[in-house]
Amino acid sequence: MDAHFRAFTFVDRITELDPGRQIRGRYTIPVDVPNFPATLVTEAVGQLAAWAAMAALEFKSRPVAGLATHIDFLTSVQPGQVLELSAELETLEEDAVAYHGNAQVDGRPVIALRDCVGPMLPLEQFDDPHAIRERFELLRHHGALPGTWGNVTNLALDNVGGQHGESAHATLHVPNQAPFFADHFPRRPVLPGTLLMNSNLELVASLAATLPASAGRRWVLRRVSDVKLRTFTPPGGTLQIEAKLTQLSADAASVSLETREGKRMIASARVRLEYA
Amino acid sequence: MTITNITQEQMAAVFPKVAEIMAGALGCDAEKIKPDASLIDDLGAESIDFLDIVFRLERAFKVKIPRGKIVEEARGDLSIAQFEQDGVVTEAGLARLRHFLNEVPADRFKAPLKSADIPRLFTVATFCALVVRRQRESAAAPGPQPA
Repeated sequence: MDAHFRAFTFVDRITELDPGRQIRGRYTIPVDVPNFPATLVTEAVGQLAAWAAMAALEFKSRPVAGLATHIDFLTSVQPGQVLELSAELETLEEDAVAYHGNAQVDGRPVIALRDCVGPMLPLEQFDDPHAIRERFELLRHHGALPGTWGNVTNLALDNVGGQHGESAHATLHVPNQAPFFADHFPRRPVLPGTLLMNSNLELVASLAATLPASAGRRWVLRRVSDVKLRTFTPPGGTLQIEAKLTQLSADAASVSLETREGKRMIASARVRLEYA
Repeated sequence: MTITNITQEQMAAVFPKVAEIMAGALGCDAEKIKPDASLIDDLGAESIDFLDIVFRLERAFKVKIPRGKIVEEARGDLSIAQFEQDGVVTEAGLARLRHFLNEVPADRFKAPLKSADIPRLFTVATFCALVVRRQRESAAAPGPQPA
């Protein structure tokens, strides 16, 4: 399978575009996948915003994941559902794009992204500009065939441990090869920030499982804040993820997250859980 | 009033919020955010942190801070060739930087200074001054103010 525009692509159609300002589109979650992580909905919104930025700058540069002040997880999505995506570009300059974005299913909000910033880098370092232009025209006019993504990407956490009710840590071995690398990106394969976020949230879930809980209630992810990705992670790296409980009340918990490769900080974020 | 003529009172008025923003962006204790602390050498800021700080300052102070503005304003009426040669700041350029960034301790301006290393001079006070200047421009500009 040619992985380009298939293995890690989550926009099927661009339905509205005000260049450099606003964009709407959609993505149909394949019906035959077992699940669709919420972080990939975030990825879809980010990819939509990226199209708006690239088109406005004539495909000379593209944004990469950098900062997200808030990501609100409002409801889960199911295979077969159609994500209605939107993004508003707050600012677009040669070095960075700032945007907000949303995803909805059947008019119900699924995810909201606020105050996100993507550093702009030369497009040709990541992909063939001609191929990107062609893809853009396809998305703008006929749309791409839905249902082409079939890889449920599972980056397993290793050596999971921690202090009960206080912290959790794990090792993430970034594979040397994976289908998503061919699409993210063809000329510079790097671990997608949203997959790293997914692994971080899995560790938070394991920490949440050690928090006080009563029958019929559980800790639910509500918001990820102050997301910062400091550097790219190429194939084959070994990352250490640490989650620490920073606040706990009867109804809410806050967790800080740090991902390192050796001593180098790769990414950080804060998570808010609610007891539902 | 010259562009560098920023009073201590004006700096003090913005410092608490600037310090809070920098502590949040850099993930450090607010006590570490001193006016003369270098963002890169003392506080460990990387390029993504500069973006983070600038966007947070824009939202907090309702001003627009174009990237590269500090160096552009420091250069003033010097041409690029007069300001730097082969990636190294000229003597005239260094004098301009020393004058414009007068909140930076003078002993940090050392020749030869690579243009790429100019951000190493930036302190917390540099960004306080940047905010004050942008606030002045916003106040002086006719028409709708920045959102």
